[in-house]
This record gives sequence, structure tokens and C-alpha cells, in this order.
Amino acid sequence: MAEVIDGEFTAFVTERGDALLRVAYALAGNQHAAEDLLQNALAKAYARWPKIRGDAEPYVRRILYNDQVSGWRRRARRAEVPVAELPERPAAGDGGHDADLRLLLREALRALPPRQRAVLTLRYLEDLSVERTAAILGCRAGTVASQASRALAKLRELVPALDELTTRSEVKR
Amino acid sequence: MTGPVEDALRVAVHDLADGVRPVPDLAVRALGRGRRLRRRRRAVAAGAALVAVVAVALPFVLLRPQPAARPITPRPTATATPPAPIRPTPGPDWSTKPLVLPGDWVVTAGTFVNGPGKGFVLDRNRGRYLTADGYDGVFPAPVGSLNAVTDEDRPRQVALVDLTNGRTRWYDVGRALSAPTWSPDGRRLLFTTHQLDHFGFIVMETDGTRHTFRVDEKQFFCTDYCDFTWSRDGTEVVLPQTGRARHDESVRDLRAGVRLFSADDGRPTRFVPVPGDPAGPWAWSPDGKLAVVQGQQEPLLVETGTGRVIRTLPTADVVWVSDDRLLYRRPYGARDVVLADLTGRELVRQPLPRELVEREITVAPR
Repeated sequence: MAEVIDGEFTAFVTERGDALLRVAYALAGNQHAAEDLLQNALAKAYARWPKIRGDAEPYVRRILYNDQVSGWRRRARRAEVPVAELPERPAAGDGGHDADLRLLLREALRALPPRQRAVLTLRYLEDLSVERTAAILGCRAGTVASQASRALAKLRELVPALDELTTRSEVKR
Repeated sequence: MTGPVEDALRVAVHDLADGVRPVPDLAVRALGRGRRLRRRRRAVAAGAALVAVVAVALPFVLLRPQPAARPITPRPTATATPPAPIRPTPGPDWSTKPLVLPGDWVVTAGTFVNGPGKGFVLDRNRGRYLTADGYDGVFPAPVGSLNAVTDEDRPRQVALVDLTNGRTRWYDVGRALSAPTWSPDGRRLLFTTHQLDHFGFIVMETDGTRHTFRVDEKQFFCTDYCDFTWSRDGTEVVLPQTGRARHDESVRDLRAGVRLFSADDGRPTRFVPVPGDPAGPWAWSPDGKLAVVQGQQEPLLVETGTGRVIRTLPTADVVWVSDDRLLYRRPYGARDVVLADLTGRELVRQPLPRELVEREITVAPR
């Protein structure tokens, strides 16, 4: 029996591990924490494998989000994840500006609190609706909206060029 | 949320996720961890009675105000000496006069951390506490009648409230701001700006005049907790410097020391090799020879000249009231403020009134 479980589990991780690691990385913001987050979720899945084997991926995803948002309290006390290296600024010009904004935004995402980054990951990486996001995070749809709004406000603080993006689009209209 | 902004966010989240590197032995490592977890669960099931006790204790632990990391090797000095005398607990009318602590310091505020809620602020002129409500942060100056207040709906601003006349003035400060901290003389406010390409500090005078200083993060490398704090004399600001060690999310980053910058012109002035983060200006001894810092694991009493660790302490959030006396709030659920000597021996304990027990208190010289 144990060999069957190990085989199924290994096949599952081999097939879906990269996709799950990508989600974990978006949630955790760095390689080391992402690996730790995912391995923890996979270990929990393995321990319950006979009960979840047909539904393993949603189970692992739920653990990823729950651990990121409600677990690891020690880390959650930190206001911001450090950004060790700032991206170099490319040359001026529209193309350069957009690339610059893109790099800055990516770094700014790392500075968001875990719950806000989880909301953005579910909404924009996994393309889930507000309602589905709320269901996975175990909160109300209004909470998802307010977290997304706070995340955007924080990103605007960190990356003022985000405001210019809105302005530019209004000018073009 | 507007269209282009939403598009930019979607791209950025995908960019972030694309930064991951594949892990070749993920399945093997997960399998090993899963097996260990399964064994542990079986063992835990056998010891369910113990778990039940822990489960009862946990909510109490979570309610404790601002606990610091528990020292791994607590000093035996406290058990070898008689218990410190305990002053009476203030009665229900405590807010009608300044709450004086051992060492002749005074409680200037009792507020909730990181969120709104009714708090208490000392009105020095009237000699009593006022209730503070409706702001997300209230920060009384260590001297005088000014209070800095913050509101999450005005994230780039701070207001100064003068308790003598109730006048409130809002000032623009900057983006991505830390909470404000007062200089020891109550004349200037210090903010850290975490704006990504403009990391640095902002010094604001009480008339709203601002001085913004950008600090090169590559040259002055800081990770983890990177807010600037004041030096003891208020002429410099202090930034922790990350040491060379592997980054681990489960512990604080190792410190090489702290870098000081002039609060007047932003220039780097000196490096002090203390192995941790001072909580603020009062964490430095009056003569400057010693400091209390939060080390990677434990609060530490250290020599500033060499960085030598003298001993661990119960908390890093201390006030040096003289060259050999520390004032701090007892960590781990106790409601008392303690005056202790540098060996950690408690000299006097002052219980807090019930209303302040679950609030963060701010103290200042009387």
C-alpha cells in the first residue's frame, strides 16, 4: 500500500510540481521561502494522501494560500519583505519607461503583506474571480476587494509611476 | 481598479512567478518531509493530553503585548535574589494624574499598535490623560504638548496635534512611510521612506519643514527590519546593516552593525559594530558606551565600541534611565514595568492599570 501511495504522490509532484512552485513563488516572493512553502504543503498532502488522492491539486493550493496568509506568524510581523537588489533603470523613452515600471512593480509586489500578495496572486496569476478568491482564502468577497484596494494603494506608494500609467491612459482616451 | 493598472499588475504578478527556478528533487524532498510529518502526527495523537494543555495556553500567548524573542539561556540572576518590591496597582482614577514609573519616567500614551482603537495620551499641561480615538497611530512627543497622529486614509501625511489648544495641522511628508519617531528633544520627527527607488529618511521639524535624504541601499545594505531610528542625542539617525549570512525567513538577519547618518545633512558619520537593532534613542546608554539591541535570536546588552555581547536581556525595548538602570516592560504576559540593573536584577516593579495592560505604552522623562 505504501509503495502505491509513494508512486502516486511522486507522479503527482513530477507532473504538477513546477506549476505549484510558480504559485508558491508568487506568494512567498523568493526562492527559498517558496520551496519551503510548497514542500510544507506537499508534505501535508502526502500525510493525507489516501483521502485526497483524487483531488490533490486543489488541496495543495488551499494549503499554500492558508499557510502563506495565516501561518508563519513570525514572518507576518514583518512590515515588508526586503528588496535586496533594485533593478537597474533602463534608458528613457516609452519602451524603457514601461520596462522600468514592470521591474519596479515586480519588486514592489515582494514588499506587500502576505495576505495582499495572496489576493493578487489568486486574482491575476490564477485568474480567479473575487468570489472564488474569497472562498479559497476563507473570507468575504468584500474583504478580497478591500485587500486588493490596499495592495494597490501600497503599490502606488512604492511605485509612483503607477499613477502616471493611469494618467497616460486617461490622456489617450 | 482601472484597466491599464490591472493589466500592469497582471503582467507583474506573472513576471514575479516567472522568476522561480525549478527544483529537481522536489518530489523526493517532499516525500521525506511527508513521511516525517506522518510519523509526528501519529506520535502527537498518542500524546493528545499534552496538546490540549498547549491549546488552552495559546490564546493567552497571542494576547501578550509586543513580546520579544525569548532568550535561549535565561540568566539565573533573578532566581538568586529576592523578588523586587512591587508598587501598588493604580486605581480606577489613574488617568487623572501622570502615571510615574520607577526611574522617574512617565507614561505618555497607551495605544493599540498597528490599528485604530481608543487610546490614552498624557496632557502634560493639565496633568491628566485624554482619550485618543479615530487615528491609526498616536505618537506623543517626549517633551511638550505635541502629538503626531497618522491616518491610513492619508498615508503620505502626518498631523501634529497641540494638546494645549487642540490645533491640528496636517503636513505632506512623502511616500511609503514608516511610523514617525520623535527625536529625544521633541523637536523633530523621523520617517523612513521605503519607496523602492528612493529609500532613505525624512526629518520633519514641528513647523512642517522637511529634509529628505536618500540612502544608497547597495552601499549601506539592510534587509529585514530597516527603519531608521534616532541616536541618543538626536543629532544622528541609525540604520541597521545586514551581515554576511545566508538569508533565512525564520530568523532575523544577522547584523554587522549599525550605520549612523547626520540628521542635518544626511551624510554617513560612523559605523558602530553592535550585533543587532537598537529599538530607539533610549536603547543607547547615556554615556554611549553600551546599548541594548535585538540580536538575531535574543535581546542583547552590548558594548558599542567593540560589539561584545555582555549578556542577554528579557527584552530589547528598554530605556536607559541612567548609566546603570534600565526601564522596560516585562515581556511574556506580565503587566508590570520594571526598573532593573544591568545584570537583569529587578529593583522595582510597577503594575499597569487594567486599561493599559493590552495597549502599547509610550514613556518619556517626567
